[in-house]
Amino acid sequence: MTPKPLDPAEQALIARINDGLMIETVADMTPGYKKALLTQLTVQGDTELMSAPAYYLAARDAPTINSRIAVTAIVHDELGHANIAYRIMEDLGADKRQLVYGRQPHEFKHPYGFDQPLENWAEMVVANGFFDRAGITLLSDVHQNTSYGPLKRALVKVDREEVLHLRHGESWMKRLAKAGGEARDALQRTVDWMFPMTLEWFGLPDDLKRHSGQLAYRLKGLTNDQLRQTWMAATVPLCEGIGVEVPAHFDEATDAYVIDFPFPCQYDPNAKRWLFDEPLTWDQVFDRWKARGPMNERYVEMIQGTFGSVVAN
Amino acid sequence: MSSGRVYEVFARKNHDEELKHVGSVNATDDDLAKAYAWTLYDEERWVEMCVVPRSAIVSITNEGPLPVWGN
Ligand SMILES: [Fe+2]
Ligand SMILES: [Fe+2]
Repeated sequence: MTPKPLDPAEQALIARINDGLMIETVADMTPGYKKALLTQLTVQGDTELMSAPAYYLAARDAPTINSRIAVTAIVHDELGHANIAYRIMEDLGADKRQLVYGRQPHEFKHPYGFDQPLENWAEMVVANGFFDRAGITLLSDVHQNTSYGPLKRALVKVDREEVLHLRHGESWMKRLAKAGGEARDALQRTVDWMFPMTLEWFGLPDDLKRHSGQLAYRLKGLTNDQLRQTWMAATVPLCEGIGVEVPAHFDEATDAYVIDFPFPCQYDPNAKRWLFDEPLTWDQVFDRWKARGPMNERYVEMIQGTFGSVVAN
Repeated sequence: MSSGRVYEVFARKNHDEELKHVGSVNATDDDLAKAYAWTLYDEERWVEMCVVPRSAIVSITNEGPLPVWGN
């Protein structure tokens, strides 16, 4: 698809951003810029928000009181990150209470991964290792490249805390691998469903991607495929190093990571299993995402509590 | 139930360091603003933290709409 021609005001802003302009206030924005930024912040805030109930429930599976405290601290961080994203959106005219309490479960824009139940300690720590790594990959790109000053500054705190979540996940993945037996098997089973889940998180491949406002306005710097490669470049060696199998490998000839299964493909959320013999189109993937996953309603209910209906009515 | 007003949050890590802007919170009064700021921006052991209602900030460089100090 060829990008549709932009109106002169949008083009002028894009040109100034390419010259290094940083945006600070709504007055500096065009409607196109503001809309792209709000979309980006909605996904960012919703992802942070929905990680909280997922991790909160999994904290019950923590093997020690200290590891339970660690996960609870992560939940606290994630709620703070969500608050920061929504707080910025309010400066752009959005209503934080409406965002948190006034939406139906299917209206949140978090990735499909945070519609899934985390049912044991291995799933909790691989989520930290994989999902938080995806978060860092996306957010550190935004931090380095965004043309929106307030977001750039806000991400300093967020990035720092995400690194701690990631370290928590990776160190526990190493421990479980070393422990062998049951623990190792649970780790491998978890990686088997979470690895493809995280690959999907980065969205449409570049050759199918329509014109990206987020790149044009420099709200991010890297394309979906570049971000997916960045994630694999960290994750594949980690897994290989601890003897955990992943369906991807580094290809010397092309100097890139290659996915070793039909990507994208169908997922059975109840069995937590990818159906490698059922390849999908990306439109079919979007349909699966839109239908949301098994924990969507429960997680949103946990966040909204009794206020959900109060604000909605 | 109202989000109240926006408070900008400032803090310093060490006594020999400048007070810096670390973020912002919504609160219906000063006491809640203090509590929200202290629990949300807990990434450091601050030796000093304070909140300022955004409406009290007098902008010098940016006439017109309030500067988005946001965070
Ligand atoms: Fe986060
Ligand atoms: Fe996180």
